[in-house]
Amino acid sequence: MSQHTREGSITSDHIKVTKRHGNSFRDKLYLPAIYDGVKVTFKHLFKNLNNINDIETLRYPEEQPTDITQRWRGLHRLTHRADNSIACVACFMCSTACPSNCIFIEATQRQDGKDEKMPASFFIDTLECIFCGYCVEACPCDAIRMDTGIFSLTGNKREDFVMNKEQLLSHKGAFAEEISCARN
Amino acid sequence: MTTAAIIVAVASFALGALLALLTIPVLVWLERRVAGLVQDRLGPNRTNIGGFRLGGVVQSFADVVKLLLKEEYYPSHIKSGRWLFMLAPVITFVAALLAFMAIPFADTLVINGESLRISALPINYGIFWYMAISSIGVLGVIFGGWLSHNKYSLLGAARAGSMVISYELPLGLSILAFIITYDTIDFNAMVQFQSGTFFGFLPAWGILVQPLAAIILIVSLFAETNRNPFTVAEGESEIVAGFMTEYTAMKFAMYFMGEYVAMNTASAVIITMIFGGYQISWVSTEMLLENFSVFAFSLMVIIPLIITVLIRWMRKNNRVRPSIKADGGRDFETKVLTIAMVGMTLLVEAILIYLVFLSESSLANSIAVTLFQIVVFVVKLMLFNIFFILIRWSVPRFRYDQVQKLGWYYLLPLALLNIIVTAIVVVGVSL
Repeated sequence: MSQHTREGSITSDHIKVTKRHGNSFRDKLYLPAIYDGVKVTFKHLFKNLNNINDIETLRYPEEQPTDITQRWRGLHRLTHRADNSIACVACFMCSTACPSNCIFIEATQRQDGKDEKMPASFFIDTLECIFCGYCVEACPCDAIRMDTGIFSLTGNKREDFVMNKEQLLSHKGAFAEEISCARN
Repeated sequence: MTTAAIIVAVASFALGALLALLTIPVLVWLERRVAGLVQDRLGPNRTNIGGFRLGGVVQSFADVVKLLLKEEYYPSHIKSGRWLFMLAPVITFVAALLAFMAIPFADTLVINGESLRISALPINYGIFWYMAISSIGVLGVIFGGWLSHNKYSLLGAARAGSMVISYELPLGLSILAFIITYDTIDFNAMVQFQSGTFFGFLPAWGILVQPLAAIILIVSLFAETNRNPFTVAEGESEIVAGFMTEYTAMKFAMYFMGEYVAMNTASAVIITMIFGGYQISWVSTEMLLENFSVFAFSLMVIIPLIITVLIRWMRKNNRVRPSIKADGGRDFETKVLTIAMVGMTLLVEAILIYLVFLSESSLANSIAVTLFQIVVFVVKLMLFNIFFILIRWSVPRFRYDQVQKLGWYYLLPLALLNIIVTAIVVVGVSL
């Protein structure tokens, strides 16, 4: 019964018919369409030729991007405590979470009484790193972050891309939070 | 042969070779810059020699150096026909290059009653030379695709073959209509015909005398040069790079340069046949020679105006944004180029003043007119090359069956109809 009424209700005004283009004489001539297309490209060409500096592209090495947000994952850094010592407690959470196995930590005993452990060495091979941010998620001490805003890392040999502990500590956060929120 | 004849022949051969070869880097640069500007980008503008960027044209020379220094890789799966595999890009390149040589760059120069042609090949059957040589170019494409022993290359070659049978007939028939109208197969005589007028005021340019044949000619030549919208043989979104897939380094560069030479040649043929060649409309060479002082005075006014506009444009645009500190030597470049342009203008003005007031020689006048016509030719050539490039960034690619349909169903009947109408009109007028 219901089946029947539904079929009966489909009339020609309920069917949406998409209008097909390309069958008119003007469309079949093809040359007017080319004229329209060339008009657009010409307009852009002359507008930009008239004032090249108006083109909204980033003149990259001189102009740096200004639209990097706080959540954008740049190069890693190791955070500090309030007394400027390292926040990391060498728990290996980050290297365990790392899907590309690019974090290499060697732990040692911490002498100043703030914590038991600290990393003796902390290497990140940025050629292996996929910048997924899992290490930041995994860190219980807010000791590793990716908020430096550094998007370009260059070097002359592969070894240049392996960041050591001192390099990672020297990176500054690009946003307000400088020291670790969990260890201070 | 007199000394003058030898000098003119050598000079015009050098000019032809320069116009064909030296325009390649300029065209590659022009393509990339125009593409950038059309798409609201900048295009290559950084490469420089000692701070001189010349708008980025130096990039093309850097590209050539890179291609020359690349490893000469040879695909090992190609067992038979190696020599033809190597020869194929050369065929395409040489065919396009040779086809350019029949183009006249200026009207015949008369020295001591001896008229000398200003074209690299002084022949009076230019259009046949062009048709014969330029259609060989596609053989290079077919050989290259076939001998690559690669299915994508083979498909590219097959498509190139299908293209040939689509456009060659309309091309030949539209050229036939022009031959009937101009009553000559000589490029130079064609240009001389176009310096006249018809209906009293319209310049007798081919595009106004024979609009249908002109459109068919332009479309067919776009197809012949393998440029968009007819790049079916490359079809990089469908068949990798088509016939060029297995080619690397200089072998690839030969195809690449051949494409630009072919585009340049097609532009030259189009402007010679339908846009008045080296002439400016309404003005024939005889008029220029008879009223030489008027011509010289108007040049003396026009050249500084053009140079002023150019310099103003350069001062406005050869700058970095105000927010950028490092200027990269652009101020210095602008200064040097301004001095060079002003100096050249002054030189030209001095020569014109000398010719009008001090020189009695009619030979100097006709040489000046010849040089002027060469400049007009080059300017027109570059404008039409820019049109080629703009079409590339405006019109999407045809499928190759669509090209065949276009050629056989539309262009061929139209070209035949055009020939019949032309023949009737020409016979009717001559009765």
